[in-house]
Amino acid sequence: MNCPLKRVETTDLLLEYSARRLDASRAAALGRHVEACAECSAFLAGQRAVWDALDEWEAPPVSMDFNRRLWQRIDRAAELPWYRGLFEALRTANWKPVFPMAAAVLVIAGGFLLDHRGERAVTPNAATPGVSIIEADQLDQTLDDIQLLRQLDSVAPSGSAKTM
Amino acid sequence: MVQGVNTITGTAAALDGDVELMLRVREGDEESFGVLLEKYRSPVIRFVYRMVQDQAISEELGQEVFLRVYRSRASYEPTAKFTTWLFRIATHLALNWLRDGRSERGHQRLDDEGDGEMPVREVADRRPSVEQRMVYQTRLQEVRDAIALLPEKQRAAVLMHKYEEMEYAQIAQVLECSESAVKSLVFRAYETLRARLAHMTRV
Repeated sequence: MNCPLKRVETTDLLLEYSARRLDASRAAALGRHVEACAECSAFLAGQRAVWDALDEWEAPPVSMDFNRRLWQRIDRAAELPWYRGLFEALRTANWKPVFPMAAAVLVIAGGFLLDHRGERAVTPNAATPGVSIIEADQLDQTLDDIQLLRQLDSVAPSGSAKTM
Repeated sequence: MVQGVNTITGTAAALDGDVELMLRVREGDEESFGVLLEKYRSPVIRFVYRMVQDQAISEELGQEVFLRVYRSRASYEPTAKFTTWLFRIATHLALNWLRDGRSERGHQRLDDEGDGEMPVREVADRRPSVEQRMVYQTRLQEVRDAIALLPEKQRAAVLMHKYEEMEYAQIAQVLECSESAVKSLVFRAYETLRARLAHMTRV
């Protein structure tokens, strides 16, 4: 028999052997190999020690009123109106897988809005041409005012010289 | 030796029986739910307890497991072993609890719990001495720490393999991965445990 530790696919055989979960024929064959293989013997000794240690860890007994509490919760759930039941189911649901999806939706929505931001900026101007007309009128008015001021500015010194 | 789920459901008849019971629950038979609860309450809570290492939390999560089984009864389809489905729910709840970081709060309570009491069978027919109790507590704490330090999936896989005596194929279905991945998880977990608990063999 080939050493089970030499191949990844067969290492579980030793675990099953040490747990006495192998069928009789395979256990006998592996037993003969282990007697002659120092590496497998050492592995088994270590593994049995681990299992002995793990066997020491006993779980505490279940509370006496576990069933009663569970039936109470079941009864309470049954008495709830349908919308409360739905709320409860949503509250206790596993939302973790939903978060990445929600984040993805937000990113896509954000991307869409950014992509269409230019259109949104142009649209109100196009829809309210009055605004641009007023702005143009104001600009014309301002230019006229500047020109008038320049004319006054150029006239004022000559006028004052004549009076002197 | 702790009795695992597979020692309870080892035969095909028992497997069919569980599915049959759950199908009856689907039809509204609460007694069948009671039978399943009685049968799997301890294995489920034991498994969750070793995952989260907190008795109160393990019972709370255990309640949630059976509540979900009951709530999902109408949509139950026997596509796998009943225990596979049951342990999948239990594993998801335990892993979520651990990932939510709620375990940090729970660990503060570990030492206050009475779950580290030395079993009576350890001392034959007399009460353990203070020294024996201290040695036992120390060894127990080392075992718990060694398990707690394993990555979550390795922890779940090794607990199902060791204590619930599940086959690799079933563990793979519970953890929703391949059988070879489970073999690798279990092997690496035991490798780590051999290294961490090796000194205990010399006691």
